[in-house]
Parts: sequence; structure tokens; C-alpha cells
Amino acid sequence: MSNPSTSPVEFTDSARDTVRQFLQANEDANFAVRIRVASPSPLDPRYEILMIEPDEKSAEDVVFDGDGFDVVMEPESAKLLDGARVDWIETTNGSGFKVENPNLALIGSKPLQGPLADRVRQVIDQFVNPGVAQHGGQVTLVEVRDKIVYLQMGGGCQGCGMASVTLSQGIERILREQVPEIEGIEDVTNHGDGQNPYISASK
Amino acid sequence: MPRVLLLLSRTSYRAEAFVAAAHRLDVDVTVGSNHKQALAALSPGGSLTLGGEDVDRAVAIIVGFASDYPLAAIVAAEDDFIQVAAAASEALGLTHHPLEAVRSARNKAVMRQRLKAAGVPSPWFHVASVDDDAEAAAANARYPCVLKPLALSASRGVIRADTPAEFGLAWSRIRAILAQRDAVMRSGHAVAEILIEAYMPGREVAVEGIVVGGELRTLAVLDKPDPMEGPYFEETILVTPSRLPDGVQRNIVSCVQRSVAILGLDDGPVHAELRVDGERASPLEIAPRSIGGRCSTILRFEPEATLEELILHHALGTAIDEYSRVPGAGGVMMLPILEAGVLREVGGFEAALEIPGIEGLEITIPVGHKVVPLPEGNRYLGFLFARAATSDQVEAALRVAYARLDVKVEHS
Repeated sequence: MSNPSTSPVEFTDSARDTVRQFLQANEDANFAVRIRVASPSPLDPRYEILMIEPDEKSAEDVVFDGDGFDVVMEPESAKLLDGARVDWIETTNGSGFKVENPNLALIGSKPLQGPLADRVRQVIDQFVNPGVAQHGGQVTLVEVRDKIVYLQMGGGCQGCGMASVTLSQGIERILREQVPEIEGIEDVTNHGDGQNPYISASK
Repeated sequence: MPRVLLLLSRTSYRAEAFVAAAHRLDVDVTVGSNHKQALAALSPGGSLTLGGEDVDRAVAIIVGFASDYPLAAIVAAEDDFIQVAAAASEALGLTHHPLEAVRSARNKAVMRQRLKAAGVPSPWFHVASVDDDAEAAAANARYPCVLKPLALSASRGVIRADTPAEFGLAWSRIRAILAQRDAVMRSGHAVAEILIEAYMPGREVAVEGIVVGGELRTLAVLDKPDPMEGPYFEETILVTPSRLPDGVQRNIVSCVQRSVAILGLDDGPVHAELRVDGERASPLEIAPRSIGGRCSTILRFEPEATLEELILHHALGTAIDEYSRVPGAGGVMMLPILEAGVLREVGGFEAALEIPGIEGLEITIPVGHKVVPLPEGNRYLGFLFARAATSDQVEAALRVAYARLDVKVEHS
């Protein structure tokens, strides 16, 4: 972890100004900012940023200097947030804090590279896609991270009632056979958006 | 490692839940269905194509398969393959409800006859063919009555008629539904039959259980808090545990146990639907399968297990006595389709998920697809799931979350 006196989380000028404006508006210098990793899933990392009063800190919390205010984190969140950056963004749809965290980069945000990814992609191209193409489907490798393969199903596979069977009985079996060092396979498809599923569930 | 043959209908809502359960139990899975799996060639023994509606042929295929890949259990995820699962299990000596009992329970008219003959509270009923004279059938009916196509499920084609004129309209509508391609494919010769039975007043409840050696193991009694008075019988909210008085719940469970015994269902899941009028419980359906759609999501057990895991455990001969439903309440809302057309948008998704207690929302019809309300429709718009300390809280959360959804349908 970084030096305890300095926050491991960087606040952009606009994020810091927003916090300061809040503190000034409330005329209470004792307010602190709590940052928490609400969900560490790389499929859907989520964060909570709250203004808290002194009695809302616990003995386990770690406290950092945020340059004008205290930044409070649970120890586990502090580890996961080391090197993260907090920004304040304003758009036509609203405004809010945005956290960019290299430790919990969203799946698909890193370039596909490396020998493991190459081998997985080769298996998908050679064995999987010719099969699912018969049902109008295709499977795309999104990322390989920590030996977990993240896949996206498209075309006839997206939203198909049998997608889980295709994944477990076909894709997973051939990937584990051909690339035995992989430790898991995750389907990151939004099946609810499937426009042309090969089979739709019904009563 | 034991191998389970999992029979999935072509349009199953349950594939993911059952496949996941089999993996958690660390058993080999063969998925049997009526169409060839996309990647069948990659997993020898991993899938089995049964081809067509012929039960004897499907059983012969399964028995042949079992000589190469011995089976420890055969489980049908839903109604479509129950008869095949029962017949193949009998042929291979595996744990399952007997074929004869499954046949009786699946046919609502036979079920009614057998239960009534044994003295179970039953309404007046009559079976007609859609090719019969509608006016004569209307003249012979007792009102109010409910018309139910024997072949369809989940309230599809079920219509209440209070007068002969309404009977005639309902008859015509059911005739048209039964002529639809999927209805014809679904049930072969039974497709033309309609069960006409007296409307039973009262509230509706469901019971989920597993019969073990003839003894019903009740897993949940579920309230259906929306009135089911017709003219159509859309299922919406299911909440467990039931808020009915203990004595009434005992009557409900006792009625299901008695019905199960009369029908001869002795080993496997049971999903029962009943009407409760005062303290009296009358069966509407005693199905030799588990709850449909995605509704099993709300049933969780400890030690940690899903309903599908319990069904597989039992089929594989493992005792399920140690499992009990987790404390607290759970509920699901089957999102109704209110108007026909093309689904353009489901707004308010995030707002619905923000309601305390709401655990999930799944829209199962993609935007751009046709939506058809009951009694003609055969799909759910989606499912909303909730968990809380009490059933009242669960029901309230489901209603508030549903009110936040903005379903836009373009009329076609």
C-alpha cells in the first residue's frame, strides 16, 4: 500500500472541488469521504462514495489525507483501490463520481494478447464457431484474465434457451481438453438483448 | 462419476438452472432434447437427440444410449418430457414416478376422474372435443365454468365463462389457439380436447414438493395474492412462506399428499395448484414436475442448495431430509403481457432494482419481438425476484418495483 499519509486514490481537480464545495456548504470540517468497493467483480465493478461524519468511522478503517479532507476506506477496499482515480463527471444524463481502477478493469477493456489468449482463440475458431454457425451463432473471446476465459455469445446463441447447454456441454469441454491450464469459463453475454435467438423459451 | 440424463424441452426456461445444479453435484450430464445440440460433436455422450414426439421411440433411443453410457438418473426439466423420463426410467430400473401415474397426472381430465372417484373435493367437469357442437356443449355446462385445453400449460387458453354466450366466445378462441402451430406440435392427439369444469371460488395457492417413496416432502407452500377470478388466469405473484393460517396450510398439504397417493406418484418432484375456499382445499393440478418458468429461483435451501439440486439428489438416491428452506421470505412476479404488439422498450429497469428486497429482474422477450397476452400468449415477459424478512415485505417490493417498469409495446 502507498504511504499511509497519502491517499492511494487520486482525486482529479473537479472531484476534489466537488468534495470541498460539499464540505463548505455544510460548514463542517469533520466530514470525511468514504470510498468502498461495493462489488469487485470484473464483470460489473461497483463503488460507493459517501460523505460520512466522524462517528461513522470504525476502528478497522484506514484513513488517508485527501488534500483538504480525510479519505476513509475499509482495509480490503484500500487494497483494491490502490492506484485508482476518482473523477467528477457531468453529462446531459446527470452528474456523479466516476472511478477508474486498474485493479478492477472491466472485462474486455484490456487488449487480447498473450499465448494463452491465442490458444483459446484458436480453439474457438477451429472447434466452436463452425458448430454454432449451424444455428446462426458465433462465440467471441473477450478476455483471458487470471486463467479465466470470458466469452461473448452472439447471433443465434444470444438469448437462446440452450445457450447454457452449448456453453457447458460443448465450449467448456473442448476448452478444458485443449487448453487444460484454464481454470474457468464465464459467459459475459447480455442474453436479454438477443435479437435472433435460435430457440426462445416459452411456456 | 454417475451420469444424469437431463431432458430439456426445446423451449425450456430451466436449462441453465438444471445444468448448473448437475455441475455443482459433480455428476456427468447428458442433455436430451428433440433437436441436435450445436456442439454435440465436441462432447461424445454429452447430448442425445430424441427426435419427435413418439415416446416409445425416445425410450428406445435412451435405452440404447444407456448401454454405452450407463445412466444413474433421468430427470425431465418440465412437462414435455415427463412421460419419456418415466417410461425410460421404468425400462432401466431408475428412481422416478411410475409411468401410469405420470399419465394420469398429466391429463387433467383423468386426474379429475381419479381424484373425484377417491372422494377428493372436485368440481363438476366434462371433457369435450373442439370438433363437438359448441352450442350443445354450452347448453350442458354448469355456470360459472372454466374451459381448459388439456394440452396447454401455464393458463394458456384457460377462460372463464359465466353464460352460454361467453362459453361460445371462449370456445371459438380456444379453437383458434389449438390450431396454432406450437400448440399442435406440443401435444399431438390430446390437442383437440377441452376440460370444462365448474369455476371454484377461493384463493389460489401452489405447493412445491418432492415425493420420496410415496411420502410428500413439502418444500414450500406459495401464496398467489392476486385474485384469480377470470376471465383469464394470468399467474403473476408467488410468495413463500404462505400467510394462510397453519390449519389451512395443513389442509393444503394433506390434500396434496392424498392426491399424490391416489394418482400413484411416488418418487420425484410435484408441483400442485389448489383453490382454497375457507378451510377447504381442492386440487386444480397435481403435476409430476417442478415449478415452471424461472420461479424456482426463489426456492433456496440449507445446507446451500437449489430446488434443481434437490431434485437431482433425490433422483440419484441421496436423502434430502437434511435440507430445509432458508429463513425469510421469497417471491417472484411473472411479468404479465398486457397488450399485443411488438415490444419496444422496458424502461425503469434500474429504478425497479433499487427497491429494497428486489434481487433480480429478467426480461425474457427481446426488444423488437412480438408479445401476445393471455389467453393466446405462450411466453412470459420476464421475471422479477424479491427476498425479505416477511412475505408481506416481499409482495410489497414486487408490486412497487413492477410499478416502476415502463413497458412500451407498439401495436401491430
